[in-house]
Amino acid sequence: MTAPPAPDTPLALQVDALEAAYEPGLPIVRGASLTVQRGEIVAILGPNGAGKSTLVKAVAGLVPVTGGRSLLFGQDITRVPAHRMVFQGLAFVPQTENVFVNLSIAENLELAAAVVRADRRERLDPVYAMFPDLARQRRLPAGQLSGGQRQMLAVARALITRPRLLVLDEPSAGLSPKLVGLVFDKLREVRDSGVTVLLVEQNVKAALALADKAAVLVEGRERLFAPAAELLDDERVAALYLGRHTGRQAQGVQP
Amino acid sequence: MLQILADGLIIGSVISLGAIGLSLTLSIVRFSNFSHGELLGWGSYVALSALAVFTATRESLAAPLGPFSFGWGMLGALVVSMGVTALLALALDHVLFRRLRSQGSITLVIASFGAALAMRNLLMYWYGGVPQYYTQNLQISIPLIPRSIGGGLRITADQMLVLVLTLATVTALHLFLRHSTLGRSMRATAINPALARVTGIDPERVLRATWVIGGMLAAVAGVFAGITVQLRPTMGVDLLLPLFAAVILGGIGSVWGAVLGGFIVGLAESASVSIVGAEYRAAAAFVVLILILLVRPTGLFGEKH
Amino acid sequence: MPDLLGWLSYGSFFLVFASAFAIIVLGLNLQWGFTGLFNVGVAGFVALGAYTSALLTTPETPERLGGLGWPVALGWLAAMGVSGIAGLLVGAVALRLRHDYLAITTFGVAVTIQLVANNATALTGGPFGVQFIPKPMQGWLGTGLPWTLAYLALTLSLLGLVYLALEQLVRSPWGRVLRAIREDESAAASLGKRPFVFRLQSFVIGSMLMGLGGAVYAHFVGYIAPEDFLPILTFQLWAMLIVGGSGNNRGAVIGAFVVWTFWAAAGSLLRGWVPQAEQARAAALQVVLIGVLIALMLVLRPRGLIGEEVTVSRSD
Repeated sequence: MTAPPAPDTPLALQVDALEAAYEPGLPIVRGASLTVQRGEIVAILGPNGAGKSTLVKAVAGLVPVTGGRSLLFGQDITRVPAHRMVFQGLAFVPQTENVFVNLSIAENLELAAAVVRADRRERLDPVYAMFPDLARQRRLPAGQLSGGQRQMLAVARALITRPRLLVLDEPSAGLSPKLVGLVFDKLREVRDSGVTVLLVEQNVKAALALADKAAVLVEGRERLFAPAAELLDDERVAALYLGRHTGRQAQGVQP
Repeated sequence: MLQILADGLIIGSVISLGAIGLSLTLSIVRFSNFSHGELLGWGSYVALSALAVFTATRESLAAPLGPFSFGWGMLGALVVSMGVTALLALALDHVLFRRLRSQGSITLVIASFGAALAMRNLLMYWYGGVPQYYTQNLQISIPLIPRSIGGGLRITADQMLVLVLTLATVTALHLFLRHSTLGRSMRATAINPALARVTGIDPERVLRATWVIGGMLAAVAGVFAGITVQLRPTMGVDLLLPLFAAVILGGIGSVWGAVLGGFIVGLAESASVSIVGAEYRAAAAFVVLILILLVRPTGLFGEKH
Repeated sequence: MPDLLGWLSYGSFFLVFASAFAIIVLGLNLQWGFTGLFNVGVAGFVALGAYTSALLTTPETPERLGGLGWPVALGWLAAMGVSGIAGLLVGAVALRLRHDYLAITTFGVAVTIQLVANNATALTGGPFGVQFIPKPMQGWLGTGLPWTLAYLALTLSLLGLVYLALEQLVRSPWGRVLRAIREDESAAASLGKRPFVFRLQSFVIGSMLMGLGGAVYAHFVGYIAPEDFLPILTFQLWAMLIVGGSGNNRGAVIGAFVVWTFWAAAGSLLRGWVPQAEQARAAALQVVLIGVLIALMLVLRPRGLIGEEVTVSRSD
């Protein structure tokens, strides 16, 4: 089962004034908006507690949405439950506990394929080709993998479902700079294969080097949204992280 | 000595089948269901009524098959009971547990305790408190092993069938959980519910499957208890402590753990009869429980949560 | 006027029971409402208190151990002691484990206690239980209405005392630590307060109150048997706590009185409605009704009649 045919829109994801909360009355995301063009890599940055994770979890259907909407290739997915997202073409990679530790690499991937009712061979072979390290150790229980390998497996598992949009929550968390580089290289490969990528990141430098565009989220709202190249040397980014308000209206370039 | 072993395995069969369902419920629905024992009780009594209906329509259905004490009617009654008990489990979830899920596992436990009381007393109201049996046919125990070896072993045909069918059921379930997509989805949900959802697994479907499987297994266990011992309205609550002991001993979420735990508890009960007398049988499960909590609370094969 | 006396007598009986229950539910509230500990074996602790006091205060009987003929007050203290020790043992084993393990363990304790009570005839009198439990003040007041009223006064005073003591306890520094543990365990631990010790203390005190309630009951009725302490009792007590609203002591007491009223009312309704021959089965229906009542309460009004929002930090 693959995602429904996309209307001819260049926008992979459109988030309009999204509001989300774990508990009613305690909003974390308070009206965030951003867009992701097809084939882009977009990063969501921001200080701790800004609501970055909550935002992507809300888009992925894991956190209740209390206002606004999100559109995936033109389709309204605001109220779609988390388990139906892969059938819409959105695959989510959580930050922690993102693989089934009791299952082997192969079992993790086979399960993902079985759930979307796809042919095992057809799905696993290309993914193994993209992740040769995983292919070599496919019988190993996921619990025995190193942090970097686990992250790769988590991404691989998501790719089994042939998503059009891959969403990741802090893929660099807990990884050494070298491993971060490897993971991010893999994400470039993923993008080059035709998948749009949206990721939340704490590692500002690495994220801006990877992404085409970036949004900076502060207190549940986006304050900046601009091409990454522009933001690399922009002192507004630092200011937002340190909590200072900038003089000018901090709206970035809309594509 | 061998007889104790055999008797323990028979008792253990009933406990194992019930414990599997309880373990699945604990690991997937995530609360200790104190009404699970009543599913066994209801399973056995529904079969009793179904059997009565079958034999009333066709007397030949009561005629014992071969060396067993029961006929085709019993098998039909078992199937009916599995279906009804599965529906009962689903209905309980729909009417009660589902609505309380947001309030946390302890509210669910209290609710299940209350549901158990209601279910047990309904059985008492409808069927009365006197023990009942599926048939009046007496079974002769076959001397399988002579007295000279380990004290000998006598077993009835019914008991042997119960043992065989239990192993067959457990094997079938294991294969299902290991190889079918739904089975693997259930395991995944038990290990990591959020990840299961983003992988595309429908949590409601898994929940329904859990109740259905738990209900069906409970029905089989209840019928086996009825065949090998008797039917009483209190059989559910009497089995509850052994069931929990088996689940914790085996490790929550592990099917084979529940089976092994069930057999060990069965053996403990059987052994205790010869040591302290039949009255304290139920305490054997408690002793097993305390021991495992002191020594290894995660159980033998507990799956990581 | 005979009618009035009859009502007075019935009313006093009713209130003594309700008050004994209230004491027990206050103990349960301390364990659950204030500490978040889930005790599904309350009937067992009640039984321990009842049997301890009964066995120590009854005159000697040849078939049974005990019968030391102690004064009632000492019996009640011993009841609290024994159930407190039981709470200590159970808590030591199960408090550090997940919530449902405590539930299962306490359930097992109650089942085992009931089993022993039923079978260890030499110790507990077996299924026939313990008779001729001495009623305090009987020497001066006889056995009629005056005694009942006096016992009611005694019980109500005891209830009042327990209530006030608990209110003090909850507002004391000890109680504040307990609340802190309940709300944010790691923060409390970082302040050097060991959550386990406080929880254990709370569990033990709660258990002692349950034992006391059992003793109060035993010395009023004068006769106890294992079938007085079945799981249904645990459920009645939980029903009282839920209906009243856990987390505050007033709710616990009110819940006890309200649910006991419902129970008695349901009982007499069914007795009137169901023919004589079916009375045993009517009792079963009474249980079904109360079970349904609780389920409804949980679904429709989980806070109970006057409960506060319980913010237990669930670590399962």
